[in-house]
Amino acid sequence: MSAIHLKNLVKKFGDFTALKTMDLEIADGEFMALLGPSGCGKSTTMNMIAGMEEPTGGKILFGERDMAGVPMGRRGVGFVFQNYAIFTHMTVRQNLAYGPRMRGAGKAEIDRRVGAIAKMLQLSPLLDRKADRLSVNILQRVAIGRSAIMERAIFLLDEPLSNVDAAFRAVMRTELKQLQRQFKQTMVYVTHDQLEAMTMADRIAVMDHGVLQQVGTPLEVYNNPANVFVARFIGAPGMNLLKGRPAESDRGLVIDLGPLGVTPPLPEQLVPAVRAARGEVLYGFRPEQVTLAARGLSILVSFVERIGARTIVHLGEGESAVKAVFENDVGLSIGETAIVAPPASSVRVFDAASGLALRAGG
Amino acid sequence: MKRSVPFEIFRYAAILAAIAVTLVPILWMVSMAFKPIGEWSATGTDLTWWPKHPTLANFQFVFGESTNDLIVALDHTALKPILSSLLSAVFGTAIAMSAGTAAAYGLSRFGSGQNLPLALIQLRLFPPMAVMIPVMIMWSFLNFTDSWWGLALVYGIVTLPFAFWLMKTFFDDMPREIEEAALVEGCSRLRVFTRITLPMMRAPLASAALFVFILNWSDYLIALLLTTREWVTIPVYMASLSSSMTGQLYGAKAALGLIAAVPPVIMGIAIQRHLVRGLTFGALKQ
Repeated sequence: MSAIHLKNLVKKFGDFTALKTMDLEIADGEFMALLGPSGCGKSTTMNMIAGMEEPTGGKILFGERDMAGVPMGRRGVGFVFQNYAIFTHMTVRQNLAYGPRMRGAGKAEIDRRVGAIAKMLQLSPLLDRKADRLSVNILQRVAIGRSAIMERAIFLLDEPLSNVDAAFRAVMRTELKQLQRQFKQTMVYVTHDQLEAMTMADRIAVMDHGVLQQVGTPLEVYNNPANVFVARFIGAPGMNLLKGRPAESDRGLVIDLGPLGVTPPLPEQLVPAVRAARGEVLYGFRPEQVTLAARGLSILVSFVERIGARTIVHLGEGESAVKAVFENDVGLSIGETAIVAPPASSVRVFDAASGLALRAGG
Repeated sequence: MKRSVPFEIFRYAAILAAIAVTLVPILWMVSMAFKPIGEWSATGTDLTWWPKHPTLANFQFVFGESTNDLIVALDHTALKPILSSLLSAVFGTAIAMSAGTAAAYGLSRFGSGQNLPLALIQLRLFPPMAVMIPVMIMWSFLNFTDSWWGLALVYGIVTLPFAFWLMKTFFDDMPREIEEAALVEGCSRLRVFTRITLPMMRAPLASAALFVFILNWSDYLIALLLTTREWVTIPVYMASLSSSMTGQLYGAKAALGLIAAVPPVIMGIAIQRHLVRGLTFGALKQ
């Protein structure tokens, strides 16, 4: 019953189109992350699901039920706001009890629910504190508790962790995931932080400029980006993309990258699609999969970032910039020439004009 | 940061001058209120800073218990003007605050554009003097003149733009998400306003009400035009305290001024905590 179906959803603010015909099905009990940079339309989508904004076009279905015209209080969704939206003139207990009280629950029922949720979120000792004197981390827990207490089938979270500190964010990621396992709600989670999306979501919907770019499991989105935007956006740093032209060689189909040389032969499954492509293509590979080798692309090291566990080497500049991530320090320094080999099998090729991935069968 | 000695001297001198400009008139009024006639009258010869012979005679005079050696008979005491000032200022403030808050909330949450809010502030920029004569004529047609409610109504209208703008700024600063959070839980719009928004707005409401009250409390012009005898307010009554024999009755005026200063001071102390605390909401500023 609590599946969410967005059908051709459109939202315009005057002349500005915040969301262009979005189609998305979120299954019952699924944890779906809406991921994208600011202004991509993810929060607008969320606000329409909650009923805070009316769609300009299209439909929102909860199960089979059309939500058009249903006010937000009757949609039966829980909502956690980025800025918590705590009622500061009330105590923690009153904040948590707000939903049940609005629904006319009895005192015993309210006490039981508040007790249970407070225990789960470690708020029990703070129940009678005034909410305006609490730390940001605690406020976030209260906000989650206030929404979770009703055990609603649909739970919407709008960047709930973007204001809390890094250590607490890691704790909350685990707790939110546990919360969802326990209550099995359908969760929609808006974030611009791919780490949150990758670690918590069952599926990720990547958005940009009001357009849904790709929907898939975290690994699908990471391994097989549908287009250049997703390739660059997912991963830290994003995928390396080098412009070139397909060329035949005696070893098979390769990409001629101009001054950088030619790539190793493309994997078999990419050959038909790349061969059919006209014009320039983008040769893509993950920085994490780059290795130093005797043969490969020779590029000047422009910058080295050593961040403890990993070393990020920036190579080249402009259109031929490549980043490489190594587990250990590789002893390269600025000004040296490195010979890097892209991974042979896991490269991706995109059409330079359309930005779409060139894949087997499509 | 270390500052030079001349700069420090200048700084303290400037501060002292500012304090003097503000406080000396008040101290003078306090001192004068307790002086006997010989020490404050224009013909008196003992003008002093502090009363040599402190007395409550001025207070007794304005409340009609004695004529204070003056050959003046007051046609009525200060009691009625104090009541008039209180009633008109309190109800005027209530009108301005309730209408202003409701309008500010509506325009802050559901309004679009700046025209209406700007039109409202323009009412405030308009000098009240320019419209007071027509208002006076209207009020006399309606039989509203020389009554505290007629005065309260005008006060409410005149200070409404002020209340509106203060409250609109506060509402604009309050995150909508707090209200949406309550709406999502199934709370009605009206209930959100009365149970969430207004309680969270206690401090801003108190500060705005104080400012509006002081505006109404210290009005002279409107009361002068709209009241004649029964319901004159403190400032108007104060102006009438003079006699042909002794000229201005400064001692009585000072005593009355001291009394008039009491309500705003009490209110200010009562809401000081809110004034200092200002606006802190449970949400973070983006």
